[in-house]
Order: sequence, then C-alpha cells, then structure tokens
Amino acid sequence: MIANTALRDSVVFRSRRNTELGLIILAALLTAAGYTLASLGRSATLPVDIVPFLGVILALLAVAHVATRRLAPGANGIMLPLAGLLNGIGYVFIARLDKDLAALQALWTALGIVAFVATLVLVRRVRDLERFRYTFALVGIGLLLMPLLPVVGRNINGSRLWIRAGTVTFQPGELAKIVLCIFFASYLVEKRELLSEARHRVGAMFVPNFKYFGPVALAWAVSLLIMTAERDLGSSLLFFTLFIAMLWVATGRGAYLAIGGVMFAGGAFLAWRSFGHVQDRVTIWINPWKTAGGTGYQIVQALFAFAAGGLAGTNIAQGSPQRIPAVSTDFIFAAIGEELGLLGTTAIVIAFLLLVATGIRIALRAEPPFEKLLAAGLTTILGVQAFVIIGGVTRLVPLTGITLPFVSYGGSSLLANYALLALLLRISHDQGEREQAEARALTETRA
Amino acid sequence: MNRQIRGLGIGLAVLFIALFVQLNWLQVVDAKRLNDNPGNSRAVVRDFVQPRGAIQTSDGVVIAESTPTNDDFQRQRSYPEGALFGHLTGYFSFTYGTDGVERTYNDALTGRDQKFRLDRLSDILLQKEHSANVTLSVSKALQQVATQALGQRKGAVVALDPRTGAILAMADYPADDPNPLAGHNQAAVRDAWTALNSDPAKPLLPRSYRERYFPGSSFKVVTASTGLATGTATVSQPVYPFVSQIALPQTTQPLQNFGGEVCGGPMPEALRVSCNTSFAQLGLDIGADKLAAGAQSFGFTKTPPIDLPFAQPSTFPTAAELAHDKPALAKSAIGQQDVAATPLQMALVAAGIANDGVVMTPHVMAEVRDSEGRVVQTYEPKAWTTAVPPDVAHTVRDMMVGVVKGGTGTLAQIPGVTVAGKTGTAQTGRDTSHTWFVSFAPAEDPKVAVAVIVEDQPNVNEATGGTVAAPIAKAVMQAALAGP
Repeated sequence: MIANTALRDSVVFRSRRNTELGLIILAALLTAAGYTLASLGRSATLPVDIVPFLGVILALLAVAHVATRRLAPGANGIMLPLAGLLNGIGYVFIARLDKDLAALQALWTALGIVAFVATLVLVRRVRDLERFRYTFALVGIGLLLMPLLPVVGRNINGSRLWIRAGTVTFQPGELAKIVLCIFFASYLVEKRELLSEARHRVGAMFVPNFKYFGPVALAWAVSLLIMTAERDLGSSLLFFTLFIAMLWVATGRGAYLAIGGVMFAGGAFLAWRSFGHVQDRVTIWINPWKTAGGTGYQIVQALFAFAAGGLAGTNIAQGSPQRIPAVSTDFIFAAIGEELGLLGTTAIVIAFLLLVATGIRIALRAEPPFEKLLAAGLTTILGVQAFVIIGGVTRLVPLTGITLPFVSYGGSSLLANYALLALLLRISHDQGEREQAEARALTETRA
Repeated sequence: MNRQIRGLGIGLAVLFIALFVQLNWLQVVDAKRLNDNPGNSRAVVRDFVQPRGAIQTSDGVVIAESTPTNDDFQRQRSYPEGALFGHLTGYFSFTYGTDGVERTYNDALTGRDQKFRLDRLSDILLQKEHSANVTLSVSKALQQVATQALGQRKGAVVALDPRTGAILAMADYPADDPNPLAGHNQAAVRDAWTALNSDPAKPLLPRSYRERYFPGSSFKVVTASTGLATGTATVSQPVYPFVSQIALPQTTQPLQNFGGEVCGGPMPEALRVSCNTSFAQLGLDIGADKLAAGAQSFGFTKTPPIDLPFAQPSTFPTAAELAHDKPALAKSAIGQQDVAATPLQMALVAAGIANDGVVMTPHVMAEVRDSEGRVVQTYEPKAWTTAVPPDVAHTVRDMMVGVVKGGTGTLAQIPGVTVAGKTGTAQTGRDTSHTWFVSFAPAEDPKVAVAVIVEDQPNVNEATGGTVAAPIAKAVMQAALAGP
C-alpha cells in the first residue's frame, strides 16, 4: 500500500516535471527560432552557430530543470519554462542590439541559473526563512543603502543604484526587493491580528489603531528616502505598492489600501514638488511631443517604434530600435514591439500574466500564512515591475526606469528574478508535498 | 487571506489588461497617425534601410550597390564608378532624396513593384529578398569613350541605338560623384550638397537631358525634313540664291550668313555648307504652321518619355507665335530665337532620321533581374513619335552623308563607315559659341546615333564649329560600332 502511494506521488510529481521539460524544450526552440529570424533579418543567412546556440539554451534550462527535479519535484511546472522563454527572447533582442552586451547577458543568465539552483539548495523549507526575519530586514536595508556608500557606489544615468567591484557593476536594490519581501511577509504574518483590529471609526469606516500604522509610515518613508537619495522612482514605487499590497493581503483591511492611496498621492505630490526629475517625468508623460527633440525623445521614439511594428512587426533585425536610448535595458519592450509587433508584445504580456496567475495560484494553495503572504508578495514584485516598465514605455503611466524581469539586459535583475522564481517554486513544492502527505494519510486511514 | 490574494490577482490582471489595451491602441488603432507624424523620421529611414538592388551597366560593371553597415541605416549605398555614371545612377541620399535611375527605378530596386510580395514576417521566411537589380543599356566601355572624348569641356554626349531608343552612353561634363551625397553623416552630406550647388559649373545638372541650348544649325535637319515632307522643297528645287544675307519681312535687320560668307544652291548643297540664308528662306516658305508641326513631330515641345527623372522638353515657338512674326520664323528655321533643345532631343532627331523617320522612345533600362538572377522585366522598344515618312528620312540621311563627306562635318568621317551628320554653331552672345554635332552611322544600316554639344567655345564659326564636336561624335560612333 505504502509502496503504491509512493509510486502515485512520484507519478504526480513526475508528470509535473515532464510537463516542465516539454515546455522548456519548446521555449528553447522558440528562442532558437527567434535567433534564426534575427540572423535572417540581419544578413539573410542562417546563423552558423544555431546548433551550439540551441545546445547552450537547452543545457542552461536543463540544469535548472534537473535542480527542480531533485530539489523541488512537486513544484509547479510552467514557471521555469516561462522564465526561460522570456529570458531567451530577451537574449535574442540584446544580441540583435548589442553583441558585447549579449555575451555578458549569457554569462549573467548562467549566473541566474546558479542563483536559482543555489536558492533551491539553501532554502530547503520556506518556513526556515521566518527565523531570520530581522537578519533579512537588516540585509535588505543594507543592500538598499549600499550604492550610497563611497568608493563602491556608482552614479549611472543620474541614479545612484549601482555598486561596482572591479569591472562588474551590480544593482543591489534588485536583491533587496526579495529580501525585504521575506521580512515583510514574516513580520506581517506575526502582527496581522493586531494590525487588523479596528479600534477607531473614521466616517463609515473602521480603521486600525494608529499605533500600528508604524509599518506603513516606515514603508512610505523608506521609499521616499530611496527616491531622494538614489533617484530611483521605479523601485520606490514598487516598494510602496508591494508593502501596501502585502499589508492588505495580511490584514484584509481596506483601510490600509485607502490610507496607502492617500499616502501615495501625498508622497507623489511631495516628490513632484521637490524634485526636478520627477516633474520632468510627469511633464514628459503628459505631453512628450512638446519636447520630442529633447527630454521626450526617448518615449517618443519608443511610441514610434511600437507604431512601426504594427500588428506583425518588422521582423527581428529589420526595424531600427537602436534609435531609442537604453533600448537594451529599460526600453527592450519597445524593440520587441517594433520587430515582433502586437503579436510579440501580446505574447510577452501573456507570459507575464501567466507567471503572475501561477504565482497567485501558488499563494492561494499554500496553507501556512507566511508562505501565502510571501508568494503573494513575490508575485506582486514580478507583476508590478513588469507593469511599471511596460506601462512606462507605452506611456500608459509615467516612465520610471526599471528593468523588465527576465527580458532586459542586467545581471542583478536576472539573478534576483531567478532567485524569486526559485522561492515561488519552493513554496509550490512544499505545498505539493503537504498535499501528497495528506492524501497518503487519507489512503492509509481508509486502508 | 485567500479573498485578498484573489483580489490581488484581479488587481494585477486589471493592470495587465490595461497594458494590452494600450498596446492595441499604439500598435493598431493609433499606429497610422504615429507613423505619419512629421517628427517621425523612422518611416523615411524604413524606406531608406530596405534592401536595395544594384545598378549595373550592359557590360556587367556595378555602378551602384548597397553594402551592410552597423549604423541605423543598415546599408551604405555606394557608386564604384563615381562621377563616370553620376548623372545616370543619380544618388540615393537620406537628406536629399533620390535622382537618376535611383529615382525612376526605386520601386524595382527595393522590390516594391513585385506583384507577389508577401508581407513582412512571412516574406522573410519564404522569399527573403525581393529587391531587384537594374541593368542599363549603357556600357561602361562606351561611357568611358564619351567621357574621355568630351574631356574637361562643359557639355554633353548622348549616344543611342536609333532602332530601339536604348541609350548607349550619356556623358556630361562636369558630373558629380554621388558618393558624398549618399553618406550617413548628415552634416557632411549637407556640406557636399552645398558645395555642389554653389559650383557655377553646375555639376549636379545632367546637361544631356535637362539643359536646353540653342540648337543652331543642327536644327536645319528638322527644317530640311519638314520642307521635304510638306513638299515645300525638293533636293533640286528651289535653288537658293548665292548671297551673304537676305532681307526679312517686317524688319530692316537682314539675316546674315556666318562671317558674311556667300552661299546658296539646292537644299543638299545648302545643308552641306550649312547655309543660313537658304534655310531661313526655306523656313519662310514652309510657314509657321507646318514648321511648328514639323518640329513637334520630332519631339520638340514634348517631354521625352525617357526613364530618367525631370527630363526637360525642348522648345519651339507655337504656330501662332510665328504666324505674324516672320523674322522669328526665319530664325527658328535655323535653330535660333526661341528654339532650345536638350542634347537628348538632338540625338533623337538624328535617331529619327536614322530609323526611317520613326523616333523610338529613349530609355536607359535594359532589364530588371530579381535577387536570384531571374529576369523579371525586359525593356520592350516602342515608338515615341513619327517625324517624317521613310522616303523623306532617306533623303535627309543622304544629305547628312554629304555634310560629313565634303561639308562642315568632315572630321566625323570614319574609315570604312558611311557617317551621316550635321554641325551646329550657336552664338551665346558672350563672344563664344555652343558647338553641336548630330550624327548616326552606318548611314545605310544605322546602329548608333550621337548628339554632342560643347559649350562656350571661343573663335569658332559655322565652318569651324564642326572641328570641336564632330571628333567627339566620331570617337563615340567608332567605339559603338567596333562594339563588344
């Protein structure tokens, strides 16, 4: 009987992994197809290195796949292939835009896979993370502040987000998001009873005790601080949204959303009043055409790129996205829009939507509150970040420089997002194991 | 927490739906407006960066080609033969657009005119390049002969096949090298453009088909043809009086022969020595209506339908303008007053006589081949205008043979080949003359017709004008007949 259930467990888990493997092969083939199109578009010849190229992608994803098979066999099977696909398409475009960056991006992808495996190896149980809550808080704040340090801190494009060691620059803020998300999740899970107690009545609404507003105020202050010191609108927006969303998920108090909204508006207004670069962003967003030759150039060129792409795109390497500044990083989505058209951009948006939906599903299925909240938070990071940058380059919202997860060039971003993915898969696997155990217990009781 | 997590999921989904809506707006609904935005140079660049076929000569020399680059434009257009074919290829410039064959065959070169063009992604997969290569009827060998014969004298040489209208050589001096205009550094391109435009020698002007000159005595071919065709005169009648000047109606100003020379006789004799007084009289005899109609039947006042852009029509006064202005009629008959012709038009006059009176449509394209080398278009010769009946053409041909045998055009003689020709000398009023020579050979079976103009030659008269232009025409005809 026991042998039977063990067999059934492994059958369920194995089918998840086999799905993953099949999808990984599909993602690798799609990436190789994109790479071939880019070569055809550029020189009307097939790429000479297509076989080794396909081999490398498959090898990289296979490493991640074998790691999940060994370390988290019960995890959801579609997230890793989706990430691999986004990473692959991103690589094809980076290679098409800048050969030197592509070589680095390949290296960073390999390191991202290492980070993925390492996360799975180090985090054997999600709940273990709870114990190091304050360590994470410190590490997170430390990472955020690192770029402000002398010697290692670097200013790039007017933002102080980077640290440098030797020739390698790194954006510690990318990792800080995850680390702080873990801290928020464990802190809020512990305090959620207190935070959700309604003691005061404001109008028709019961609001929680003011003394528990501390965390919200802290998040608000921290994001404003980042914005001020590092001029990183994107990250501060992401932090603030993340924290409010997690607070609300943890407590179920709509009041936090309302207060968060008010504070967001207040913070935004303050930032707009105080900082020239924030004003610029808003002015450009409202009317980029007025300054199309100056500050609005980047977004206007991006809009032209999307329009030039139309429905089916110009095909890879047939458009001219090089005219958009920072096209390999923040604006890579505009390059995809020009050369793969609406079909391509829709595919990317759907891939993110699937990632987010899967993340939400993992959060819903997880039983321990900490894991639920952590999954929700990590999913929020992924979803909001994708929205902020895609919305920014399409002029849906004001532009805040931030990378498109898995797609943009950027080592820190890739590393962080693969680690994020590993955490979500770990949560998914833990839940899978629990369900299997319950099923087993049920069968045994019956027997 | 599940309620909130579901709410969070819905919230994120709403954000993504907003993205989807915005993308549809940008890439489909609003795309046309964005593409047409005057600030959007992307559309211009998109045309500019399309694969573009090569242009080559009939003897297989590439005179325009695109090579890949790593900049925004992706391809650099270059003209390996530089100024030699500068006015034929024209230029393909991002800043200043296109000219020459680059302009007239733009759609063929980019492949835009191919009927079974698939769109975008799919055509890359199935048929990766649809740009086509254009082969000209001009050969590098003959173009070089014409260019060298003209030398560094302002003017033009047009050689064509009278049977098909195919241009065999078309040389101008000066001509520009199109390479600087096709550059990708816009500041450098602007500088080059400014320099070319401010050059008083007008190197950007294709004199062969866009500049008009007084045709002078070379126009007498048209007057002679019209006189014969209308029955106003024959080869024997009338016999024009041997005089040095004739009185014109309505004026006290007589019309004189060059240098007070005395000449006359029947039409062949008058043409042989290019006698102004005789042809002025012939013009008066023909009358305004018929002379204007005769000029028009050779193509005057009409734009030659050549496959080069902005070809200029040659001018001849209307019948109404000449009807009551006899002095103008007389002067028009000898190619003066308001008559002005492009070198191309004068080559077509010679070609019309050579081709039994039918002027064929001039063209420079011989064939268009796709990127695989398959012929997709071959030029089909067609008539442009009927100048005179065949018998008149033959008579005029014989008279032109006389000009070269023993008249003003002896320097165009080619051993073993009968050459028909006519000189022209048109005074510029600057103490210089434009010297012309129009000709074709062999007279009995014409294979090449040539018009030559050399501008602003000092110290020449009707008798000596032939010494400048005729040798150039001779060199070109000789080379064309020796042929490959």
